[in-house]
Amino acid sequence: MIIEDEKALARELEIFLTNYNYVCDVCFNGTSASEKVAVNLYDFILIDLGLPDYDGLDLLKEAKKSNTEAAYIILTARAEINDRIKGLDMGADDYLAKPFSLLELQSRMQAITRRKFGLKNNVVPLGDFLVNLTERTIAFGDEVISAITKKEFDLVAYLILHKNRTVTRNQLSEHIWGSIVNDDYDSNYIDAHIKNIRKKLNAYASADWLETVRGLGYKVRINS
Amino acid sequence: MKLRTKLTLFNAISKLVIVTLFVLLLPVLIRSINKTFTDSRLRKQKDKVLQKIKSQGIRFYIPPGESDYSAYTPINDVYVSVEEDSLAGYLDTIEDGKRKIEGDTIQYRILSHDFRADDKKYLLEIGISQDSVNERTAPLQSIAFVILVGMIILTIAADQLYSDYVLRPLGRIIKTKLIGQKFPNFGTYKKVETSTSDFQYLDISIHKMIRTIESTFQKEREFISNASHELMTPISILQSKIENMFEEEAISDEVKIRLLEMQRILNRLKSITKTLLLISQIENDQFLREDSIHISTLLQEVYDEISIRLQDKNITCNIVIAEDWLLVNINKFLLYNLFFNLINNAIKYNKEGGEIRVNVLKENEQFVVKITDTGIGISTDDLPYIFNRFKKLRQSLQQESFGLGLPIVRSIADFHHIKIEVESEKGVGSTFKLIFSPELIG
Repeated sequence: MIIEDEKALARELEIFLTNYNYVCDVCFNGTSASEKVAVNLYDFILIDLGLPDYDGLDLLKEAKKSNTEAAYIILTARAEINDRIKGLDMGADDYLAKPFSLLELQSRMQAITRRKFGLKNNVVPLGDFLVNLTERTIAFGDEVISAITKKEFDLVAYLILHKNRTVTRNQLSEHIWGSIVNDDYDSNYIDAHIKNIRKKLNAYASADWLETVRGLGYKVRINS
Repeated sequence: MKLRTKLTLFNAISKLVIVTLFVLLLPVLIRSINKTFTDSRLRKQKDKVLQKIKSQGIRFYIPPGESDYSAYTPINDVYVSVEEDSLAGYLDTIEDGKRKIEGDTIQYRILSHDFRADDKKYLLEIGISQDSVNERTAPLQSIAFVILVGMIILTIAADQLYSDYVLRPLGRIIKTKLIGQKFPNFGTYKKVETSTSDFQYLDISIHKMIRTIESTFQKEREFISNASHELMTPISILQSKIENMFEEEAISDEVKIRLLEMQRILNRLKSITKTLLLISQIENDQFLREDSIHISTLLQEVYDEISIRLQDKNITCNIVIAEDWLLVNINKFLLYNLFFNLINNAIKYNKEGGEIRVNVLKENEQFVVKITDTGIGISTDDLPYIFNRFKKLRQSLQQESFGLGLPIVRSIADFHHIKIEVESEKGVGSTFKLIFSPELIG
């Protein structure tokens, strides 16, 4: 369920999530949304706080009554620190400040799913390596590769989450450096990180599943 | 110097000058007063003598057969003498002169008067001793001096008290309106009670000026806050559209590269907007200060994040912690960003193979973090402007930044009452020194 009054944005969210095999309902205002959440059950409810006819937090409270099992993600352009705290206090599962990357939204939704359904042993085999998304480790055989830093793991995990798709440097840096506010136009440090990851992994075995897509970004290829 | 001190000083000096002048002039004054007084006494004496002669004849003073008379009263130091005068012309003068009386030569004020009696010409001389007159001058002078000094002290004290009272509102205006006001947060207006219209005017003018500045600041902040918020939604839409297009299979790689460029430019817009919004949120006090963290932990976290950026230019970064402190009442997110930006700048403006030193130490009882780089430095002319928004001074290096790094640093530092001092030499490097106030140290 997407509740967003900016039609253009709601439409893009719908396209994106449909691509990722979600079935979407879209509401452009609070009134119709409140009617829909009363009768339908959703897995995810994305609420824009800045609705013209409804206080987003009121809608959240209302929806929680009928859709107790749903995961709630607040989307907002207001970025007020208090809103974030209030939203999370009222039972929202996550909070995304506009503008956000669609990939980031999807990764948050995945994280919630993993949390809600308590997926254990979320291990992805990649070539000769085993990536454990729960324990956040990469192992070669039985040996955990300790040289991999937290940041480097984040990058790999993000690429795995969006496997077989090209993830741009911008999307990657937004994911791992999103909370840092600095005045660089553009960081090319993703390349340096990837270089380091490859160097560390290649010491064990080939990591050709981590592909560079020339001029565009990076991709993790997993043949299913 | 304070106005009150100046006034008191002027008062005291001017009075002292007048009094000194007066005391110096006193002998002259007294002498002239004495002279007038003595002269009138002499004349009265003369009149008395002449009166006696007129009523009782010259025989009263000079019995027949004798030629002169003289009498001396030691108590008054007065002598009177009458004698026959053979000189031509008539004298009627009062002059100073010496006379030998009873063996002593004494300075006298002498009245000489010729008169006729019984067809003879007589000379009357009446003298009053000058010594007795001068004897009185000295004590008079000292008494006058003592009285005047007493009066001066009294008036100075009175002046002091009054100027104190009159200037008190001015002091209060300075204390409550000007000293210790944290720009641009001035707090509420409190009228300063005074009956002096100038001070009332001053008070109200300062208040009006503060109001104007405050409202301008407020407007600017609101504008930045609203503008950045309003920009967020369109940016969000554009970003989503680009991301979705990027995933379309039908699009060639060439178009994708162009989409990527668009995304990069959009990112720039996003960063600027986010940064402005952050600055306005800090300035609007929307952050809490209730985290605590060891400075070493915080710097290590920043280092872990930023170390990847050192590789490019082969820069070495040393963090030297002479004394570890626990920072309290801080906002970790903000301080993290502060250090990130400072170290990031130290990397950006450094030379190939350069060095960065981060020193945590106590200097003159102050908690100091120094970040020193061996970079291109900042010229002295530019130093005052480095914290201005969108000011790009170090253009020469073609760095891709938009000039908000140091403004964020400044906002965060101000928010935490951290003092920043910058020293730099062009071509040699820069040092950013952060001085933490003791209330931030646990």
